[in-house]
Amino acid sequence: MKFDTIIIGGGLAGLVSGISLQKAGQDVAIISTGQNALHFFSGSFESVEEPPQRMADLFSEAGIRLQYRPGVRLMPLGTFRPATLSLDDINLFPTPRFAKKAMIVNFTGYHDFFTDFLAEGLEKQGIPCRVQLLQLPELDVIRQSPSEMRSVQIARTMDRIWEKVVQEIRVRLDDEDTVILPQVFGLQDLSVPGRIRQGIPAQIVFVGTLPPSVPGIRTQMLLKRRYEILGGTYLMGDEALKAHIHDGVVHSIVTRNLDSHYLEADNFILATGGFFSKGLKSNPFRIYEPVFGLDVTFAEDRNTWYSPDFSADQPYMDYGVKTDASLHALQDGKPLKNLYVIGSILGGTHPEFGTAAGLAVRSAFAAVDQILS
Amino acid sequence: MNAKEFDVIIIGGGITGAGTQRDCAMRGLRTLLIERSDIATGATGRNHGLLHSGARYAVNDAESAEECIKENMILRRIAAHCIDETDGLFITLPEDDLAYQKTFVEACQKAGISAEVIDPALARRLEPSVNPDLIGAVRVPDGSVDPFRLCAANMLDAKMHGGQVRLHSEVVGFIREQDSIIGVRTQNRLTGEIEEYYAPVTVNACGIWGHHIAELAGVNIGMYPAKGALLIFAHRINNMVINRCRKPSNADILVPGDTVCVIGTTSTHIPFEECDHVAVTPDEVTLLITEGAKLSPALSSTRILRAYAGVRPLVSADDDPTGRNISRGIVCLDHETRDGLKGFITITGGKLMTYRLMAEIATDAVCRKLGIDKPCETATTPLPGSEERSYEAVAQKIWEKPSMAQKAAASRMGTGAFHIQSGDRQDDALICECEEVSVGEIKFAIERMDASTLTDLRRRTRVGMGTCQGEFCACRAAGLLAKANGCVEKERKGLAEFLQERWKGNFPIGWGDTLREAEYTQWVYKHVLGL
Repeated sequence: MKFDTIIIGGGLAGLVSGISLQKAGQDVAIISTGQNALHFFSGSFESVEEPPQRMADLFSEAGIRLQYRPGVRLMPLGTFRPATLSLDDINLFPTPRFAKKAMIVNFTGYHDFFTDFLAEGLEKQGIPCRVQLLQLPELDVIRQSPSEMRSVQIARTMDRIWEKVVQEIRVRLDDEDTVILPQVFGLQDLSVPGRIRQGIPAQIVFVGTLPPSVPGIRTQMLLKRRYEILGGTYLMGDEALKAHIHDGVVHSIVTRNLDSHYLEADNFILATGGFFSKGLKSNPFRIYEPVFGLDVTFAEDRNTWYSPDFSADQPYMDYGVKTDASLHALQDGKPLKNLYVIGSILGGTHPEFGTAAGLAVRSAFAAVDQILS
Repeated sequence: MNAKEFDVIIIGGGITGAGTQRDCAMRGLRTLLIERSDIATGATGRNHGLLHSGARYAVNDAESAEECIKENMILRRIAAHCIDETDGLFITLPEDDLAYQKTFVEACQKAGISAEVIDPALARRLEPSVNPDLIGAVRVPDGSVDPFRLCAANMLDAKMHGGQVRLHSEVVGFIREQDSIIGVRTQNRLTGEIEEYYAPVTVNACGIWGHHIAELAGVNIGMYPAKGALLIFAHRINNMVINRCRKPSNADILVPGDTVCVIGTTSTHIPFEECDHVAVTPDEVTLLITEGAKLSPALSSTRILRAYAGVRPLVSADDDPTGRNISRGIVCLDHETRDGLKGFITITGGKLMTYRLMAEIATDAVCRKLGIDKPCETATTPLPGSEERSYEAVAQKIWEKPSMAQKAAASRMGTGAFHIQSGDRQDDALICECEEVSVGEIKFAIERMDASTLTDLRRRTRVGMGTCQGEFCACRAAGLLAKANGCVEKERKGLAEFLQERWKGNFPIGWGDTLREAEYTQWVYKHVLGL
């Protein structure tokens, strides 16, 4: 099978580059193991400030509404963090004192939404609040299995019964000007968060839960749908195992599911993510890139990989695949002419691209420009 | 300040202190136990969790071996819900001297330990994970014991006999009257509050920290801190304890426990200043994996969950640099006869296995001082939770068709699981998926077992001990604690401390899946949850 470009990794970086190339007329294949960092996306794009026009266009064509409004957002543990560019169902406030009085709503038996932490965080800002638990018989089916009361399962039910939630809240609403809800709305039906906002006469604030992140999964689905509408091939649940390289050029790769076929392309993009996504692997002696065996920046002495302080910046998170200035991967110190490296697998090697979501989007556009030029 | 009076004050919430409080309380004394941190935070919770048959000591220390096998049989009766009767193997590898096996078996028999030489082929069948190259095997009645559970059960029973417990309270001074200790002054480490408690007898049961407590009382006991490092693996590779049949050495015991297994240990003398924060070095990690893989080759390819270290409370005998040749025997010091200080007893040395005997000896000494003549009944009275021998039977009695999580609860709590039956789906909801800990079990630990922090909860319920190391369950459990204690700020701090404590045991082995989970946890807590 022959493509113009093969992208390994179906997360934010892989999808952004896939959509851009496909739209430019290329025939693209994305190979995805299925799990990526969008599954624990906070909804705010770290390290991106005002979105480049091409990013705004790309997301809006995929049906994802972004908002750019420098401010703060309420975090799941009741703290406030600065945020600028976010999905439009994230509330961005000019100051942490965003309400006069708030009602925090949760569902009985759902432990992944931290009402007490939120209440304390709000009270610290001088916002009095009370917690209301909704007892919804519709959730009983999920509750039968003790490990099923998780965000995505609840969100599936909420797509159906959100109107009932609105009614319950309207009945309970007293003189509160703000209602805080867990981010378990609009997984499939994108109109739900907006319709909840219309249905309740108060400011509605959606706050994150424990992963999986419902807005993150929705973003992933919409980007993937857009990519497929443009004609892109998405090989879900497959994994690149090894590559055939001659004279500094990648000719083809072999995947787990298609082991008798070589997947050939003119260009390849490696967007397999950091440690969690298995783009980088490690053993007691080294940190390595498993598909191509690319050069990785890391310290020889394992003791220096970590800070003993859990909350400090961890040196290992800065390790990444080495590239030249045009994002060509380095192997034994030499660039591979048609292999580009983007996203978290770069670690901190390209600080000019930022981190996390910013790094994914900016490096994706940079690689696309190289391929199309 | 408010003063309170007791018959005996026990300092130290490890297994020795908890056992002593139980024994004293059962003999009718008004008891108070003071612990500066939580239960089982010292050596009690930082060992193999091995229910020694005594075989390991048979050749070199016959007295310890005999104590072990007697206590082994007693614990099977009184602490059934804390014990896994796995049996153990002492294997001889090609590089070991097979002649040692004969010496070993004879010594075991002399100490009253059943030691049956079995064919290596049979050993491979009984324990498929054992090194297949073994040339000899002896079967002994080893097992595994959950020290957290054992400690909690002793304390719970002491409380059921009227005992009082003050956790997170540190002894900052003794109250004296002429040549007697008549009480202690404590400071609560969470609130800073100072309290005074009075009793005619105080027992120092602080393990290695007993050295410092004795100094505070003005007497000197020459203790010898010997650090031992261990690794926990993410799977229960072996079902029987596997030991090397040779002179005791580094990393030669592999113990299965609950869902994991533990390899250890090492022995290094450390200065007293280091006892509060012992760390495992990369060299120790390498040694433990290399030696451990000789017992069971699968270890070299199994994910390591944590590295941790404890400090043995040995009492100096000579200047042996490793501390391995110092007797593990029990030391009970009456400071009145030894140092002319009345009302003060130190119980130390010994080991997890012999805690009950240590408690009996200490309680006998307390009773002598108080002029009380009551027999010890701890060897025959089951601990709370152990009224039934089998957890399957317990689960069966409570739930008609117990789920996996309910079976797990019964295996952790024994008959204590009766208290978490609810029939309420909300209480059945799982907080910790790795270890299948439910809301009901967490509530029980908060309400009945003095758990006031996340780390306390972990020791009582295994929350956060599983493969995810607290990634998800930590903040769920913190939510329940916040509800119970009504103080969110404290829980937010507690959550950070809990994650820091988990990281401490993770980064020395930070590669492969451990590093994957760490990256995820660090990212999610910082950027997604906003801790």
